[in-house]
Amino acid sequence: MCYKPRPMSDFRTEVGRRWLGLVTLLLLAACGRTDGSAERALPAGEWREFEGSWTAAGTRETLPFGPDRRTAIFHLTGSLLLTGSQRPALGFRAEAIGFSDTRAGMEGRCVWTDERGDRVFSELKGQFVGDGNRVAGTFVGGTGRYAGVTGEYTFQWQYVVDAGDGAVSGRVVGLKGRARLVSPPGAPSK
Amino acid sequence: MTAAANHKPVRKLLCLALALGIWFAPVPAGLTAEAWHLFAAFATAIVSVILNAFPLLTAAMLAAGAVVLTGTVDPAKAFAGFAHASVLLVVAAFLVANSVVKCGLGRRISLLVVAGFGRSTLGLGYSIFLTDALIAPAFPSNTARGGVLYPIILSLAQGNGSRPDDAATRRLGGYLMFCGMASLSVSSALWLTATSTNPLGVSLAAQRGLKIGFGTWLLASSVPALTTILLLPLILYRLFPPGMAGTPDAPAMARTELRRMGRLTRDEWMVAVVFASMVAGWVLADTLRLSLTAVAFAGLGVLLATDVLTLADMDLQGGTLVTFFWLAVLFALSTQLNELGFMGYVGERLTALLGGIARPAAYVILLVLYVLMHYMFVSQGAHVLALFSVFLDVGARAGVPVPLMAFSLLFASSYFSTLTPQAGSQNIIFVGSGYLTQGELYRLGLLTVGFCLLVYLVLGTPWLLLVAG
Repeated sequence: MCYKPRPMSDFRTEVGRRWLGLVTLLLLAACGRTDGSAERALPAGEWREFEGSWTAAGTRETLPFGPDRRTAIFHLTGSLLLTGSQRPALGFRAEAIGFSDTRAGMEGRCVWTDERGDRVFSELKGQFVGDGNRVAGTFVGGTGRYAGVTGEYTFQWQYVVDAGDGAVSGRVVGLKGRARLVSPPGAPSK
Repeated sequence: MTAAANHKPVRKLLCLALALGIWFAPVPAGLTAEAWHLFAAFATAIVSVILNAFPLLTAAMLAAGAVVLTGTVDPAKAFAGFAHASVLLVVAAFLVANSVVKCGLGRRISLLVVAGFGRSTLGLGYSIFLTDALIAPAFPSNTARGGVLYPIILSLAQGNGSRPDDAATRRLGGYLMFCGMASLSVSSALWLTATSTNPLGVSLAAQRGLKIGFGTWLLASSVPALTTILLLPLILYRLFPPGMAGTPDAPAMARTELRRMGRLTRDEWMVAVVFASMVAGWVLADTLRLSLTAVAFAGLGVLLATDVLTLADMDLQGGTLVTFFWLAVLFALSTQLNELGFMGYVGERLTALLGGIARPAAYVILLVLYVLMHYMFVSQGAHVLALFSVFLDVGARAGVPVPLMAFSLLFASSYFSTLTPQAGSQNIIFVGSGYLTQGELYRLGLLTVGFCLLVYLVLGTPWLLLVAG
């Protein structure tokens, strides 16, 4: 059997086509919905229940505070995706900073940003950032279509992994909450 | 002007159109404009290299310039890769490898290898895979292991008359270099302790109640991993014929040449001691809490202090600077793509589309998607952290047994590292040798990973169902 190598340009084109196929696939998945207007329309002021997940990465600086106590400051960002027909939007980029103490618990602030740049602000309180620990968030306002938003949510860390050099990665599942928007979700940004 | 050169302006225009097309497309719900625009720049950079419109350095510089100047990524984050330990380890390993070749120790080791395995080029390929598979469990970093293998492979290539700039002999070196890359990926799947990514994945799998130890891992990986180790040298030989097959006289000639070389010189002793110390440092890094990069820097410092390497030698390492630039930029941009939520978003959306699909189909689709998504990553660890749990959850929800899904994803997290030149930091040192073109690297990468995927699906799946449930 004689192996005849194919010209390199053929392979480049072939590999390029396959890669472009992957990009197209990703785009199709990513662009499945380009705005949040398909969420079930509810009058402004109605409570909207939602569930979701959050995959986050960032940094955590830990300061040992005695033999069995640790304190840390953290900064995490990632994709927060919501489910449920009443959800205020398909998803957000969620960014959180805070202070965490194995004994005193955690206090933080979180900003959710959607595809239009509109934001939702929330305050976080709960247990030390770690596997299985629970956190509660309270919406305290927002910008654009989320101006004046109120509500609350809770979640549990499925895992929080130190990836070395202060890098940390975590995932939240079972995020549940409700929000009351002053303006309907399809309203233009201010 | 060649046909390929004639097409270059068209390819560049296509890449520009792709970048602008994605950039100005509506931002998908759930993403931010920053994440979307960074994806436009990153995807265009990779596509432009695959289409041979630009070299990696050019593509990386254009992408970095675009995202920083438009305010998409903060400069400090875009340039963070220049201070990242993994990137610096690659650069230090490059420079240290130079000393092994320069002093003649690499040639001596390569002659020993040829004396044992050198009757054919294929034999040399097998010797690389077997050596790596044997030393892998002691090395928690496959980048460090690449730093050990590379100077020997480079000496093997040079010792057989192969030069990157010589079209007639280049393919032999290219074959051996890709064997080095591929062996690192498949040996990392064989042993739990062969790469730092494996324990990371195991700790995530433990969240689903799966306890995986050294023996459990080895039992699960043995059949598919050993099959790939056994077949890949031959398959690569067919895919990328090295242009030199049988060399029956080579072992005898190597033994003669070894006798002629005589005893180790002072520089060879020095390099051997420094290299052995570095290997010991890398092997014991976890136990002694040593930084892998600091071990490499210390070794390089000793080699410079003892004049084994000189500043004049450093001046000749322009290729290292090129590698440092593109690797640092792509590493940082890929990290940012993850931190801006893009990777998690796409992973969650893709897996959401699989709802209601039959269990076997869901298993295969999840595994293929997981592997293909590595086109967007420059770090195996980042990929595992971003997507492993997402895909494992969806597989479990679809009814795929958790041990099967977990092991398959864990093994894929090692063997997908040859998918692209930047898919794992251990590749970079081999890519920088210049023996393989970017097109060849992408083509061989795709075919190698495709073969591994096939072996793990066809052989690995029933084996895992048998031994892991």
